[in-house]
Amino acid sequence: MKLALTIDSRPDTIEILAPAPACRFQLGDAPPRDANVETPEPGVYSVLLDGRSYDAFVEDTLTCLVVTIEGHRFEIEVRDPRRWSRKSAGAGSDAVQSILSPMPGKVIRVLAAPGDAVVPGQGIVVVEAMKMQNELKSNRTGRVLTVTATEGATVTAGELLATIE
Amino acid sequence: MFRKVLIANRGEIAVRVIRTLREMGIPSVAVFSDPDRTSLHVRMADEAAHIGPGPSAESYLRIDRVLDAARRHGADAIHPGYGFLSENADFAAACEAAGIVFIGPSAASIRAMGSKTAARRTAIAAGAPVIPGTDHAVTLDTLRDFAATHGFPVLLKAVAGGGGKGMRRVDRESDLESAFRNASSEAERAFRSPEIYVERLIERSRHIEIQLLGDHHGNMVHLGERECSIQRRHQKVIEECPSPLIALHPEMRHEMGQAAIRAARAAGYYNAGTVEFLVDADRRFYFLEMNTRLQVEHPVTELVTGLDLVRLQVEIAAGAPLPFTQDQVAWRGAAIECRIYAEDPFNDFLPYPGKLTRLTRPLGPGIRLDGCVYDGWTVPMEYDPLLAKLAVWADTRDHATARMIRALREYDVGGIHTNLAFFRQILEDPEFRAAHLHTGFIDEFFQRRQPPEPPPDLVAVAALAAALHTAAHQPKAAISAAETASSWRESGREGLLR
Repeated sequence: MKLALTIDSRPDTIEILAPAPACRFQLGDAPPRDANVETPEPGVYSVLLDGRSYDAFVEDTLTCLVVTIEGHRFEIEVRDPRRWSRKSAGAGSDAVQSILSPMPGKVIRVLAAPGDAVVPGQGIVVVEAMKMQNELKSNRTGRVLTVTATEGATVTAGELLATIE
Repeated sequence: MFRKVLIANRGEIAVRVIRTLREMGIPSVAVFSDPDRTSLHVRMADEAAHIGPGPSAESYLRIDRVLDAARRHGADAIHPGYGFLSENADFAAACEAAGIVFIGPSAASIRAMGSKTAARRTAIAAGAPVIPGTDHAVTLDTLRDFAATHGFPVLLKAVAGGGGKGMRRVDRESDLESAFRNASSEAERAFRSPEIYVERLIERSRHIEIQLLGDHHGNMVHLGERECSIQRRHQKVIEECPSPLIALHPEMRHEMGQAAIRAARAAGYYNAGTVEFLVDADRRFYFLEMNTRLQVEHPVTELVTGLDLVRLQVEIAAGAPLPFTQDQVAWRGAAIECRIYAEDPFNDFLPYPGKLTRLTRPLGPGIRLDGCVYDGWTVPMEYDPLLAKLAVWADTRDHATARMIRALREYDVGGIHTNLAFFRQILEDPEFRAAHLHTGFIDEFFQRRQPPEPPPDLVAVAALAAALHTAAHQPKAAISAAETASSWRESGREGLLR
């Protein structure tokens, strides 16, 4: 299984040649390496590599995996060539701006309706979580296509609230 | 001593107060809103009372419901924690009227210090130095006059303020009007009072505060300082005791301590309180405000002085005299605290509520963790994103910093974003190590920050973990859907197959 990766925006590939626990893998064009891998807790990978012990904590986020090891934080996008990429599933084309909730929260105000003309910086929806209000704005001069957000609704991070063309 | 104490709060501070009450053998009563039914403070308390739905205005801020819960459960004292009703003079007065002891200062003291401009006037009368500013709310006209006299930058602040709400830095005349309107409307939303006052802004200043403790018999001591200069959005995120500045200039502790005591005495203050000062580059200090309650960051003072501030608060409220004098207060070693928030520091510190899927707490020498989280708990979206306060103690600041970095490395919270990794970067920053602290530190840090270059093996392990995680969590449906010709072609077009 060969996967395309971007690690903190740098493209790379990884191929898993033998599965865990006696894992053999190849990163890019480097020689294959052996690592012993166990999963003591969900999302936690205990990796022994060249005698060194690492605990890697893997977190699923909307756009990527966040892997934390020894306090270092990596944002990694994994794209299995056999799968639709995570990105192409979510974001639309550049012709349409999708307004997504940047955090889990509650829609407290909807400031635009489908058909409204908007200008860059104009507020479309206000989402609130934990006493912080976040006004999501249009990034273009255009027209509101759809508004799926409703006032009072609870939304998850990455949920589509409105689209603008 | 009290028969039973109700904690009019939630989250980590409610848990912290319950712990001391249990050590004192005093039964505790928690209050909770709908989303907090399974929160830790409810589980830990001896008794618990439901006080309403999620929004604070309908539960934790309802004086009538809190007092009703206290009566129903037979509590004869209330600890307000911080935030919510803790600095509400009407609440303190209502407790008194109901024959329930408010564990804190008198309603009159809260009034004297609650309004920021009233506090300024009290401090001036007590001879404490203040930043040039207005002693009353301003209009746009008087604001313009002030800026014309004192020059820019200026800082607009809410008269009823706290927590950085309604605060605006203004650098030029042309921004004054919009900043005034925005600050005013933010203050209106946060405090139901649009009143704004103005101070000259002192660049690269430090925030250093003095912990006070006074009894009902006229005794008052200071417990030294806390340095709280590391802030984001005018909110503290790292606090330490001693202040590295005061460690170099120990006479400042006495001077600031005495200034704080004078200001508090002028307000007839008793119980625990904190006087906040701003210290400029020439080490001149200015009175900022007084917090008439226990501070979030009190653990660093407890670690260095060996005292339990909550126990002392309860004893003082029950009428006991302070059990020690100023001469007997001693400071030992160094303590640092990081406020662990459910937020994404790499995405503008946006809050991130949600369900915890994994939790590993740091343990071992010199660690103190005040938290309200457990594995499987859902962090509610209604409240402040503070999850826990991680504090460490060691003999020196360097050792405490190393200990904090070690503790952060052990700390793992899964399922939500936290600022844990961000703290590691701050604590390893040479400017932090050199104790070049000021309230603009985080803004400057983001500008100069070079993301740390990780060792190559770390990158390899991260890639391996990500690949295995993806393989293990690939939904079956996605695999079958993906094994269509179109997705192969799509991927091919993207040039992902080599």
